[in-house]
Amino acid sequence: MGRASADAETPPAVARSSTALSDAEVMLRVKAGDDSAFEYLVQKYRRPMLNFMYRMAHNAAVAEDLAQEVFLRVYRSRENYEASAKFTTWLYRIATNLAVNHARDTRHERPEAVVSIDEPDEDTGLTVDVADTSLSAEENILRRERMAAIRERVQALPERQKTAVIMHKYQQMDYRQIADVLKLSESATKSLLFRAYETLRVQLKEFV
Amino acid sequence: MKCTEIYELMPDLAAGMDAAMPAVNDHLKSCAACAGKLEEFRQTMALLDEWRAPVPSAYFDTRLMARVREEKAKPSGWLQWMRKPALAVSLAVLMVMSITLFRTDAGKNVSDRGPIAAVVEPGTAVGDLQALDKNGELYSDFDVLDDLQVQQDVTANP
Repeated sequence: MGRASADAETPPAVARSSTALSDAEVMLRVKAGDDSAFEYLVQKYRRPMLNFMYRMAHNAAVAEDLAQEVFLRVYRSRENYEASAKFTTWLYRIATNLAVNHARDTRHERPEAVVSIDEPDEDTGLTVDVADTSLSAEENILRRERMAAIRERVQALPERQKTAVIMHKYQQMDYRQIADVLKLSESATKSLLFRAYETLRVQLKEFV
Repeated sequence: MKCTEIYELMPDLAAGMDAAMPAVNDHLKSCAACAGKLEEFRQTMALLDEWRAPVPSAYFDTRLMARVREEKAKPSGWLQWMRKPALAVSLAVLMVMSITLFRTDAGKNVSDRGPIAAVVEPGTAVGDLQALDKNGELYSDFDVLDDLQVQQDVTANP
């Protein structure tokens, strides 16, 4: 199972036969002891989980740790898994709980978002000088300011609104899926999202 | 359609995730406020697109699979709980306390019963030894025996 680089080139056996299988059915294979099925799910949801955790936690290293914890919890829960709900709903519920707990536990540790031209870009790992060669230094600084503002404003939203926006905007989840994960009605989710985007519209107006 | 109904659809409309129904289009044509708000939502969505996530590190899979292997190597069931130091210590303390309480209670019961009651089975070797042990002072004072009357039937049939 530890073939990190080879995995991308050689899909696990289950991947070749899973085109007709739903994720829940693949998870039932994991439950039955098929490790290649678990590997398939990791490959499929690794990037979405990392993206989700990065935006929830605002830190690339923490996001990796949290994403790994999500998959570990999936693996630990394999024997108790029941395909009663959609696999992604279950997965995002685990991820949301972890992210919210992490935010609660580190509420007093998070530093203020600052823009520094000397430190590497948290997103790209590159310094401003080489962040985007097509932009001038001034444009790069403005871009970084916009990024900081976006992060800060999204982070400042109430926890449920923030989670809903990240799921809707960045994970391309529809109202029904978000409602299932957050255990809300579809109507309440629509209302939640409208209020969140309305807040962002007002607060980010100067950057538009 | 009412403006509030349009509001609920606005996130999907602005994100381009949902095609506007004819009724929505009709409302947007006739309501400048909703049309303006939708346009601003679209601009906000475009701004949010700038927030990109980093690519996963090259060691993500390696680290994850190593942790999964560790997970598999862990003992299953209640033995796994024993690996948690706090739980193991609590369990040990609980066991010691239970044993101590049991022994104290058992000793108390025996002493409560008095010297003769300590004899488990009168006439058995164990019972006699326990009686001797518990009533050493009584039996060492043989003067007490002088007060006893000799039974007639014993002398009559030696």
